[in-house]
Amino acid sequence: MRPADERPLKARATWRLAAVMAVAVAALAMLAMALQYRLVEGRLMQAQRALLTADLDGFAALYDQRRVIAVREAIALRTATGADEMLLLMDRQGGILAGTLPGWPAGLVRDGEGFTVDPAQEVVQDGSRWLVVARELPGGFPLLVGRPLAPVDDTLAAMRRGMMVLLAAVLAVAAGTGWLAAVWVMGRIGRVNALADRVAAGDLAARLPGPRAPDEFGLLETHVHAMLDRIEALNRATHHLSDTIAHELRTPLNRMVQRLSRLQGQEDEVEALKAEMRQAIRMFDSLLDISRAEADQGGGGLVPVDLSAVAAEVWDLYEALAEDKGLVPRAQVTPGLMVLGDRTLIAQVLANLLDNAIKYCGPGDGLALTVTAEAGRHALRLADTGPGLPEDLRADAFDRFTRADRDRARGIKGHGLGLALVRAIAARHGARLSLPQTARGLTVEIAFPALRD
Amino acid sequence: MSDASSPTVSASGNILIVEDDPETAAAVAAVVRDLGCTPVHRDTLEDGIAESAGDYRVIVLDRMLPGGDGVEAMARIRAGGSRALILVLSALGRAAQRVEGLEKGADDYLPKPFEPEELRARLRALLRRGTMQVLDNDLLAFGDLEIRLKARTVHVKLTHVSVSPKEFELITYFARNAGQLVTRMQLLENVWNLHFDPGTNVVDVHVGRLRRKLEDAGSHAIQTARGEGYVFAPLPASEA
Repeated sequence: MRPADERPLKARATWRLAAVMAVAVAALAMLAMALQYRLVEGRLMQAQRALLTADLDGFAALYDQRRVIAVREAIALRTATGADEMLLLMDRQGGILAGTLPGWPAGLVRDGEGFTVDPAQEVVQDGSRWLVVARELPGGFPLLVGRPLAPVDDTLAAMRRGMMVLLAAVLAVAAGTGWLAAVWVMGRIGRVNALADRVAAGDLAARLPGPRAPDEFGLLETHVHAMLDRIEALNRATHHLSDTIAHELRTPLNRMVQRLSRLQGQEDEVEALKAEMRQAIRMFDSLLDISRAEADQGGGGLVPVDLSAVAAEVWDLYEALAEDKGLVPRAQVTPGLMVLGDRTLIAQVLANLLDNAIKYCGPGDGLALTVTAEAGRHALRLADTGPGLPEDLRADAFDRFTRADRDRARGIKGHGLGLALVRAIAARHGARLSLPQTARGLTVEIAFPALRD
Repeated sequence: MSDASSPTVSASGNILIVEDDPETAAAVAAVVRDLGCTPVHRDTLEDGIAESAGDYRVIVLDRMLPGGDGVEAMARIRAGGSRALILVLSALGRAAQRVEGLEKGADDYLPKPFEPEELRARLRALLRRGTMQVLDNDLLAFGDLEIRLKARTVHVKLTHVSVSPKEFELITYFARNAGQLVTRMQLLENVWNLHFDPGTNVVDVHVGRLRRKLEDAGSHAIQTARGEGYVFAPLPASEA
């Protein structure tokens, strides 16, 4: 089992949450800033407009007194004092009477002849904006009065810079907060994940040290602990129960065996009884082995085992029996294939399969064991050319107490637990158990996950 | 060179039985007396551990005892200074439990229900083990049957008998327990290192092959003992 990757970057959920928060906060801040921007822009424009209106009112008053002459003097005076304005008065022929400009700006249209501020226009002069009023005074005197918009633009540019800095700051703070939250959340969740990994690896008694924090993570840890306590109690009860059953069954059986051993003169009968008792115990052990293997499924307690060596040993034990029965046994075992397993259980699996095969096959039948490495797995395959499985039995051949009717008819002994134990032990090892279709006989394949060194 | 053929070890000494079922304890005690040893019985784990400090050659230890599991208590027995060999005799007889017991330091593990003959054979093997530590000579000679351990060869009347590696281990195990009953279960455990009952008598086939090879060479060393196992008795018994 691979331990949880605890890098904060893996805290996708936390990151998503932090990103949503950051975007929301940034959007709200930007919205507020945009409203303020609009307001400031409006106010500043209004102020420039007011100044322009005042200028025009002044010129209007002068014009009322002495017409163009007064206006010309006023403009000349203001130009001389270097006021921050755009002023221009021209004569009928286009000659400049007074003003700050060297000529009439190209493309600027003269609207009406009064001194009202409307309509005003915006023009760009020397790279900055101006709010100007272009008129043609009665008699054909073009007049241009303008106020610069540069202060407005400067202020707004400063505001925009401020907004960008603020946006960057909000995003940076959000990312930082997200990172910290991810680190913290992963730290807290990582503890629980690490605990789950240890439990999955077979350490049911594993618990988190230290006090629970009074928050949702503490609550999660408390719940996980409560769950583990329950599982552990159930597991202990199961183990205890199977031990108790074994004890309560075997102790009286033991008394029976002792008494049987004292009986004289009926050796055959005594032997038959003892054989029956052995058979009952075998069945009973198989059931307990199955439930134990199922209970331990996916758990720890497995160690590196040389699958090839175990297979070869068990094969060696049964090969002679197969030969004696007239079978044609052959084995092809790739040496040194390691798996994570339990030697006794693996030996039991193969012994069960071999026992079955030898039981069902007749003289002349082939019996072949292969142990090979293929695609990340170490496959143990036992193929015989015997009668095979009846088609209707293939689906549930590995269920407990499944026996073919023909066996009962032929008087082949068994309790239908052998293959169920094979399945439980294969599952205990995380191995894939299959019955490949073959032309003749039965082939059982168990593909163990290979142990990489 | 040693002649290891002297058949019966006349055992003596004390054997401690820690067992809560009186009937089982009586059966074990009977076997112990049969072997010429003196049984001492305790029926709780605490009493057993306290008593184990005494001079015992073998301790027959139950597992599910009032007071706890005998297998878990073995460390305490060892810590108490006992040098006795420990035979666990328990209802917890599944293969995994037997292996667990042996891995935790038991010298032998016999599941209940047990045959008295089986217990006798195992106790005898343990008693022998206690006395025959220095049987590490290269040559085991039983009259005209000779086993060379380093060369891994077997000779009968100076004729080489070709045996498979497993058959060699088998005959070596027999030789180390010469003159005594050796059960199928003992062979399975000690020669094949398998701790479950395979149901069929797979061992018989191997013993049969070895026996035929020896008989072809003129030795009747291996004999079947009434239902329970085999006796390796290379000397006069075969001619008798």
